[in-house]
Amino acid sequence: MKREAWFCDGNGKLEAPGRRAVVLAAAGAAVGWLGARSAWAQAAFGESKGDPPLLVVVFLRGGADGLNVVVPYADEDYYRFRPSLGIARPGDRRVGVGQPALDLDGFFGLNPALAPLLPEYKEGRMAVVQAVGSRDTTRSHFEAMSAMERGARDSSSGDQGGWLARYLNATEDGSAPLRAVSFSSVAPESLGGATHALTVESLDRYSLDAGSEVGGLLERMYAQGDDLMTRAGRETLSLLKALAKADPQGARPEGGASYPDSPLGRAFRQVAFVARQGLGLEVACLESMGWDSHVAQGRTEGWLTELLADLGGSVAAFLTDMGREAARTTVVVMSEFGRRIEENAGFGTDHGSGGAMLVLGAGVTGGRVYGRWPGLAASFKREPGDLLVTTDYRDVLSEVVASRLRPVETGRVFPGHLAAPVGLMAGRS
Amino acid sequence: MTVSRREALGALAAAGLLGAGCRAPLPFGREAAFPAERVGDDEFERLLACFGYGARPGEAAQARELGAEAWFEGQLAAPDDEPLPLLARLLRLDVMHLSPWELRDWPEAAVLAQLQQATLLRAVESPWQLRERTVEFWNDHFNVYARKGLGAYRKPLDERLVARSHTFGHFPALLRASARSAAMLVYLDQQASQARHPNENYARELLELHTLGVDGGYTQRDVMEVARCFTGWTEERGFLKAKGAFKFDPALHDDGEKVVLGERIPAGGGVKDGERVLDIVSRHPATARHVSGKLCGFFLGDSAPRATAAVEMAFLDTGGSVKAMLQALFATGAWRDGAPVAKRPFDYAVSAVRALDGHTDGGRPLQDHLAAMGQAPHQWPMPDGYPIETEAWTGTLLARWNFALDLTRGGIGGTQVEVDRLERRGLTTEGLAGPTHSRLIESGTTSAEERWALALASPAFQWR
Repeated sequence: MKREAWFCDGNGKLEAPGRRAVVLAAAGAAVGWLGARSAWAQAAFGESKGDPPLLVVVFLRGGADGLNVVVPYADEDYYRFRPSLGIARPGDRRVGVGQPALDLDGFFGLNPALAPLLPEYKEGRMAVVQAVGSRDTTRSHFEAMSAMERGARDSSSGDQGGWLARYLNATEDGSAPLRAVSFSSVAPESLGGATHALTVESLDRYSLDAGSEVGGLLERMYAQGDDLMTRAGRETLSLLKALAKADPQGARPEGGASYPDSPLGRAFRQVAFVARQGLGLEVACLESMGWDSHVAQGRTEGWLTELLADLGGSVAAFLTDMGREAARTTVVVMSEFGRRIEENAGFGTDHGSGGAMLVLGAGVTGGRVYGRWPGLAASFKREPGDLLVTTDYRDVLSEVVASRLRPVETGRVFPGHLAAPVGLMAGRS
Repeated sequence: MTVSRREALGALAAAGLLGAGCRAPLPFGREAAFPAERVGDDEFERLLACFGYGARPGEAAQARELGAEAWFEGQLAAPDDEPLPLLARLLRLDVMHLSPWELRDWPEAAVLAQLQQATLLRAVESPWQLRERTVEFWNDHFNVYARKGLGAYRKPLDERLVARSHTFGHFPALLRASARSAAMLVYLDQQASQARHPNENYARELLELHTLGVDGGYTQRDVMEVARCFTGWTEERGFLKAKGAFKFDPALHDDGEKVVLGERIPAGGGVKDGERVLDIVSRHPATARHVSGKLCGFFLGDSAPRATAAVEMAFLDTGGSVKAMLQALFATGAWRDGAPVAKRPFDYAVSAVRALDGHTDGGRPLQDHLAAMGQAPHQWPMPDGYPIETEAWTGTLLARWNFALDLTRGGIGGTQVEVDRLERRGLTTEGLAGPTHSRLIESGTTSAEERWALALASPAFQWR
């Protein structure tokens, strides 16, 4: 049997609609599904209107060790609590202490594996928030992630549904086919309840392996129905149409950007790709797995270092790739909690509270470390010895939403939360 | 004219009545929507879809002859061994009988592939479907990520000693087996825990995920005390040792007094400290509630609240008999008339092969499809197991459609379905896609292979 290419041939060129497709379209099969992308592109987000601002949220799953990401090297107790894991002071060139931290402000230093992001900080495009988090005290990955992704104070309070979904639903006007995308194996809770949001592990090989009639029949089967699967089917078919002409694998990053060959690097590359397709993309959710460093997390070698290098390299490549369009792009890096102040016997750290966030790109008043430092000794006094949270993560996110995304009352995105100013975002331009 | 179950459900859902009062709050912006088309309206189709991976053609009729309860009891009484042809194929897989230390010279990828192969073979081919379903549940409940720290070598033994030895047995025994599984201990970093500064990873997940549940009334202090109790629980290591066997190392153990959930554990207990903890949490009422809730969620989806009280009671009455819990779950009838449950990719793929009366060797081509769909067995990184929420799986549809197309056209090596034979037997796509979509599919001019692929790709077949 000859297999027809449904959307594109091997060169990414759109195939002329076959006879059957024409018959189907004439028979009134939903919206014609060939060549629909250009209509959307021109109607909704053509060059005259410009592409919307883009928010990329990177979730470091497992609880990133904030104290070794943004190192409080000038807190006199840091090296006492972290005798084998502490990142050396900037300029410390002794043998056997690993790479030194990169100084940020005379008190904090950046983990050297994040060196690709140092220019962003120095040039004022990256802000750091330290001792930030939710008020969750379960120290459970799942509860703490759920709290943050729902935009709640802690795991036992707050509304169902994701904070990004609430933003998307509050500002939905039906004008864009793909407002949000998540590159992950399963959908993140932050997008739970959103329409026009798609979860996809990768866009490489994102095509239907069948002829045009099969595509048309699928579209008709999924045309009606309000159950979650049917809705997702419609969104999947929309994206297939929208990407019919595109070739994500063949797309060359711009500005010589070189992404790490990792799931996160590939996901960032694909965000840059989708953001340029004129689909109205506003929100992208990415995740990095494996931050649960109970054991052998290493100082400046080992797997925590590898994860940080992957993160730094991916974000830097993405900002380079976006080029001029970086001016509409903001990246937030967050994790469900930080880790215990004192290292454990396995050269790792257990689940803690306060952590670090990074905010980069458009609208950021960078080059500063935000948040009140609670002090390690003072934090340690309270059992079990976690960094106290002095900045509510919702304050940071509220500011990002208010300054970058479509106009929306941030109280609708974070119900019941009265956001306190952090000051890391410039006002709406 | 009688009103079908589907129409009744649809009307109830439209009126917003379904599950009112007993349903957990739905995520923001979501209403209780069910698929317009529904397969398995037949009680016995549903029986096999809930307690197995769906019926092969003709199996629902056989179950009808037997009666639902007799079928179910027969499943609970499954013999240890599989029928000879399947057993012969399983025994050719080295992971079925070798131990971690015997597998050590193998490439990790080969071990992982065989591990998945055994899982797929049994799910598709075994007549003891309830056992496979329940093993899937326990593998999720006591999740071990086979790609962390060479877990692939330890997981085969873990599955034999935990999920398969106690599938329908008693929860306390399951828990004890899991706590002595090197796969679990190393996955949750227990080998790096010692008296000087215990590691909390296993202790926390033991309380939060395996037993009490996050609302089960334990504190951070309890986590730290439990971590102290389990210091020294590790795996055998070192030259010429049976690497991957359980070992208690007294040199690493904190022998001081501990207090766990208000109970004093005196100093000097050694390995008994951990065992004492397992006793305490096994008979804690929060564990009965938590495990029952999860079991019901796995089998019944949104209708779980209809059964949890009965199942919890069965747990408490029998000291955690899994058989009794499953019997209580069955007796509620929620599997018969409850809300549809979205299939996870593993369920989807296995039920697709079975619905088309196909066969598989469970080899890598099929495993690759499962990976693309997001649910390769034993490869969920987090300790909570693959999610059961529908929302988690809505991004996998394209991979499902491509799987269905590949399956029916014979493109998955080692996996065969014969759609021509199905049609000669007079079977139609209606049983898979529902009447409306089946008519739509049959109205096209696609090949037989594509018609059956479309039936598997239909909205209805995504649910059970």
